[in-house]
Amino acid sequence: KDKSAASKDSTPEGASKRREDGAETPKQQLLDIIGNMKVEVSYRKKLQQLKASESKKQALNKLEGADSEGSMFQAAAEDTQRGKPLNPELVKAASAVASSFPRNKKQTESELLAQLRRHEETTDKQKKGGTVNIRQVISEMTVKRQTPAQRSARISGRISLQLDEDGQRIRPERSSAQSVDSRRSLKVGKRLNIFTKASAEPEHALKTVSSPTIWDLEFAKEVAAVTAQPPRNGFEEMIQWTKEGILWEFPIDNEVGMEDGAEFHEHIFLEKHLEGFPKEGPIRHFMELVICGLSKNPYLTVKQKVEHIEWFQKYFDEKKELLQEI
Amino acid sequence: MAAAALCWALRAARQVLPSPCPRQVRSYYVDWRMLRDVKRRKMAYEHADERLRINAIRKNSILPRELQEVADKEIAALPRDSCPVRIRNRCVLTSRPRGVKRRWRLSRIVLRHFADHAQMPGVQRAMW
Repeated sequence: KDKSAASKDSTPEGASKRREDGAETPKQQLLDIIGNMKVEVSYRKKLQQLKASESKKQALNKLEGADSEGSMFQAAAEDTQRGKPLNPELVKAASAVASSFPRNKKQTESELLAQLRRHEETTDKQKKGGTVNIRQVISEMTVKRQTPAQRSARISGRISLQLDEDGQRIRPERSSAQSVDSRRSLKVGKRLNIFTKASAEPEHALKTVSSPTIWDLEFAKEVAAVTAQPPRNGFEEMIQWTKEGILWEFPIDNEVGMEDGAEFHEHIFLEKHLEGFPKEGPIRHFMELVICGLSKNPYLTVKQKVEHIEWFQKYFDEKKELLQEI
Repeated sequence: MAAAALCWALRAARQVLPSPCPRQVRSYYVDWRMLRDVKRRKMAYEHADERLRINAIRKNSILPRELQEVADKEIAALPRDSCPVRIRNRCVLTSRPRGVKRRWRLSRIVLRHFADHAQMPGVQRAMW
């Protein structure tokens, strides 16, 4: 298994060349192939291999329990999956691998090709940023059965202050159980997308309702008052505060409430708004100073800055007769 | 589905949910002086931009003096309550004009009262 893992960066081209050594047995051939695979230097192949490696891992996990010749099958599967775009090579490799098996050659070949197709699909989906099926996520989650010892340990843990600045476990008994849990939860499973920005729920179904009547509002308030239980723990309290707006949403977005979609150049290069002013004279000088100050101001939006300049324009237009006298 | 509809209805009406902890609701200002102060603050907020711009014209060494004199007259013509200088930072609870700590917007007596009853988080009697 280690050999096959180590020989990940390699091409099937070596395999196709070596396959012509018909003198050895098929098994020996394959071992030779694996042993003699070259390190591929080109970047494109590496990218493909990286993409294929994810699918490979899934394949490995699926294949692990399936066959008696476990290691051989894994190596063969890696071999066949590595050259994803090179399909005729793959077919040849699949046939070679299938011929090495003592039983059901055609079946294994068809299985391998079917797996290849599946992995192509999954890597394409992952490339596009695949969808998260809640059903799949939930189906992967299992209900944990606790022993009474674990349960008592958990309850006593809840009573005592769990917060530890070092982040280390106080009791060694808990650590074994929780390390097992953390191992399962950290390395298994798909992304749950908890920390992405909360997207607004589609309320198209509700928009058909016109304005809600007073009775509806009263009923809604009553229901909310009945169902709103006081928070059971600190997490629920924090959730309630976030809903009320007392607590910010994490990860902290510095631009909450500031929806200025303007780029930096619109803030800084304000000279194009100076077209209504005379080209020379004290007014132009004054306005250039104004613009210099505005460009350094990070607190105003572009709209406010433009309004500022327009106010001055209007003011000087009104005072035009006065200015001509001077 | 029904819960979502109810939530939407609540949000649309912007009604405050009856929360478990009762909050004091004040429907009157403490006294007339406080009310006048509130009005002055509102007016100052409305006219703040204008005042800023007219002052920018006035406090200038580039523009001609006649323009600045005209601006002087204009700013004097604005309502008297629109200038921020007339705002007094009164105590929020008792409307006391003096002895008000800015951080809490409370007069010293009220602040002391709450701090002694442990209702000001993080405020402690000094002892050193």
